Amino acid sequence: MREPQEFIVFLFPSVSYVLKAEKILKEQGIVHKLIPVPRHISSDCGVCLRVAVGQQERVAGVLQGRVDWERTVFL
Amino acid sequence: MKVTVDARGLACPEPVLLAKKAIEENDEVTVIVDDEIALENIRRLASKTACGFSVTEKEGGVREIALVRTEATGQHPVDSGAITAELSCAVVPKKEMGAVVVILSDNRMGRGDDVLGDILIRSFVHTLLQLKPLPVTIICYNAGVKLAVKASPVLDDLRQLAQAGVDILVCGTCVNYFELGDQIAEGRISNMYDIAETMAGAVRLLRP
Repeated sequence: MREPQEFIVFLFPSVSYVLKAEKILKEQGIVHKLIPVPRHISSDCGVCLRVAVGQQERVAGVLQGRVDWERTVFL
Repeated sequence: MKVTVDARGLACPEPVLLAKKAIEENDEVTVIVDDEIALENIRRLASKTACGFSVTEKEGGVREIALVRTEATGQHPVDSGAITAELSCAVVPKKEMGAVVVILSDNRMGRGDDVLGDILIRSFVHTLLQLKPLPVTIICYNAGVKLAVKASPVLDDLRQLAQAGVDILVCGTCVNYFELGDQIAEGRISNMYDIAETMAGAVRLLRP
């Protein structure tokens, strides 16, 4: 069983942005998970990328200038 | 007079009708039943006809119900038609009410676009963890078995579902066909007998 950990989600303007961002995270070997946007954040049928809180800066760094994200939300 | 009615193995509404007839003709009746539905129906009968009602648990799910006429019994006659009209003869016992079985028959969700379908299935399986109650079983067949392999994008979620007590059945024929025998990382290899039985026993099938 995985240790309980804190997550943060990156929200994007559209699904295609999510896919682009996910590709970059895969290339970089950053552990992430594509999940539905949690209900309390938005009722839209969207998806977002969830990463460990500790990875936030690294993710922001690799996405910077390549894929824009809208905002991040702590879970 | 005191009589005993053995209603074990009888299909609904037989037990409650026998009980009703017996308590109309006798002061005390013992009804032996072996299913939940008969018990509940007789409980309702007792309340409608104002009989004394008590239950004794016996071995193997058998119960002895004691019905006793009281002064109030029969003052408001209830006919068989009215009783049967209100009966619940549901086949599903209470504890399994709402049992949901999820069918993963593809490694994508929906048709139209594979990339989108891939995103949707990941979202779907992740969301299963939040269902209340959780599905009792997840069945993976055809390309759905690819969701149970080591490299599956939903492996983590399936693992958590399994740990939460969800039974995950993976179609053996399909694993064999796709030559994934050494790669299945979650669920137990199953056969068409189990798969068909589980589907037939489900209250609801969810098929994304």
